[in-house]
Amino acid sequence: MRCNTVHALLDLHLEQQLPEELAQQIERHLMRCAACAFEARTLEQTRNLLRAAIPPVAPSPSFRERAAARLQDALVPHLHPRLEQADTRQWRLPLLPED
Amino acid sequence: MIDHLTGTQFPPQDTHEQRLIARFQQGDPEALATLYDRYVDRVFACAYHLLNNREDAEEVTIEAFLRAFERAATFRGECPLLGWLLVITRNLCRDRQRQPRLLTLEPEVADRHAVRASALCSTETALAVQRALEALPEEYRLVLMLCDVQEWDAREAATILHRSVQATKSLLYRARRALRQQLQDTWNREDATDAM
Ligand SMILES: [Zn+2]
Repeated sequence: MRCNTVHALLDLHLEQQLPEELAQQIERHLMRCAACAFEARTLEQTRNLLRAAIPPVAPSPSFRERAAARLQDALVPHLHPRLEQADTRQWRLPLLPED
Repeated sequence: MIDHLTGTQFPPQDTHEQRLIARFQQGDPEALATLYDRYVDRVFACAYHLLNNREDAEEVTIEAFLRAFERAATFRGECPLLGWLLVITRNLCRDRQRQPRLLTLEPEVADRHAVRASALCSTETALAVQRALEALPEEYRLVLMLCDVQEWDAREAATILHRSVQATKSLLYRARRALRQQLQDTWNREDATDAM
């Protein structure tokens, strides 16, 4: 395998999205080509550093609750009239704690 | 199946999701709750990374679900519901960015750059990574956040970025190399200073 082919496939290799045979060919190349090995290692390190430095964001539990309450308030009057006779407690989004 | 807004190809939806959507369109509150629970994190992350502000992202998240529920009947199932929700979210973010603000608020620096000393890397390293990210063009930052930090599928990121899946992947690959270059430059400078 040539260096430029390795370079072109490195991201997919890093993401483990290559078929086994191709991945092994790349690994063999990385064992004997210092330039490609450096390329692969620094690319992987960059991604690892990024993941370590920046945690993924998620809405806070209090927001999830507030949002569910607001959605419920806004939506209940517009829900299908067929369901209106149902016990009103059923409208409560299950995300909200029963009080 | 092609999302006509982005040209993104999505795989067919599973039948469980289709049944859920049918119930959602009929106004079944449990279906609404299930969909909310399933997608609120993605919608929030999308808004957060477009607006760089937690409070605005929370507002947009609520608006996005309200709009989706109001327009449930117009959802034609041409793309997955998540893709449709993300397009709604993206448009709401764009509207919000266009609005003149009464107060000129700084982007939420303290939150975006919350430096967490974790077991994974030192505070100093985390800061260096965040500065390196800052130096990148907006779309590089966004694709790195969505694909490498949030670990989204390239198809979902493509919806937000308004690109094809292939273009999103090549943007991601360029962004990784640009971030690496920034980090190498930073640490090269540091080494040069240390050597003096
Ligand atoms: Zn090589």
